[in-house]
Amino acid sequence: MRVRLLAAALAAGLAAPAGAEAPPPLPFDIGGPFALIDQHGTPRTEAALVGTPSLLFFGYAQCQAICTVALPRLAETVDLLTEAGVEVRPVLVTVDPVRDTPEALREAAPRVHPRLLALTGSEAALAAARKAYRVESELIGEDIEGPLYSHGSFLYLLDDRGNFLTLLPPILGPERMAKIARKYLDGRAMGQLEPVGTR
Amino acid sequence: MIGRLSAAAATMLCAASAHAAEGERIDVTGELIDTWCYFSGVMGGPEAVVGTAHHTCAMWCAAGGIPVGLLGEDGEVYMVLKLDGDDAANGGDSFLTLTNDTVEASGMHYARDGINYLVVSEVRSNLGIPNETHEDFGVIPGNAIPDAVVDDVLAEAE
Repeated sequence: MRVRLLAAALAAGLAAPAGAEAPPPLPFDIGGPFALIDQHGTPRTEAALVGTPSLLFFGYAQCQAICTVALPRLAETVDLLTEAGVEVRPVLVTVDPVRDTPEALREAAPRVHPRLLALTGSEAALAAARKAYRVESELIGEDIEGPLYSHGSFLYLLDDRGNFLTLLPPILGPERMAKIARKYLDGRAMGQLEPVGTR
Repeated sequence: MIGRLSAAAATMLCAASAHAAEGERIDVTGELIDTWCYFSGVMGGPEAVVGTAHHTCAMWCAAGGIPVGLLGEDGEVYMVLKLDGDDAANGGDSFLTLTNDTVEASGMHYARDGINYLVVSEVRSNLGIPNETHEDFGVIPGNAIPDAVVDDVLAEAE
């Protein structure tokens, strides 16, 4: 009971309306060029993020930790936005180049979301992408399933040019994530909010 | 007690709704917490998922990529984006060795989307884990430490 009460209280807190003023820019840049491969084996660069806003997450298909929370929330957020008439592309960039081959991602991606763009590549190419998006990842051990990676888990909301808009902690529920995303994307559609630079 | 804690927890992120135009430098003293277990309530009330009681689980969560927050003495939770010297803002296990430690930190505070973010520029002191919640709650969750390990520790203590 007390857990339900707490959850309700937190939900109320998390649902608090944000102020109208544009949020302060972060003191570092997020985003940049990359050269990866999608789940169909097609080379993809940052140009793949142009044309539709994106919700971007770094993780891996075999992850039994934060990805099991973040990826379903990413998918549900995208669906909530779609229901609201806001098209957002779900994107996963793997941190596990050994197991997340294009073939493996082709099988895994639909389980996350039918429109998921799943990106992989060489270790160096993925490291470059992580550096561009300031995401940390580290091999922390092995279990019977294979390597275990620790990795950053904030989701990034990008505009239709691939520019960083804001970050979303994976602890937020899909409703809250969608509400925040709409603040940026509805605003852009109405010309009320400029893309938020990171510096 | 739970009601007061819940109400306090619910207001933590609300307080960030008044946006500043720029980040502001602040000093925060508080505990580095596992934000998933703290906010989700899956392990019980917030008082049970801080300090020594939750330390093992918090380390697993930090290793697994759960964002670490700094629970300030003022009751605010600041999502920690990076520590001084880190290139990455979206961290992995940087905080593994610091979970549940109480630290005095300086950094830049950014209130975005109703959420407090903190870019830590300096950890001025680390007081370890003075919050000995295991005396009230034991280990949270109970299976965070395998029984065999507990038995070994108890045997060594004898």
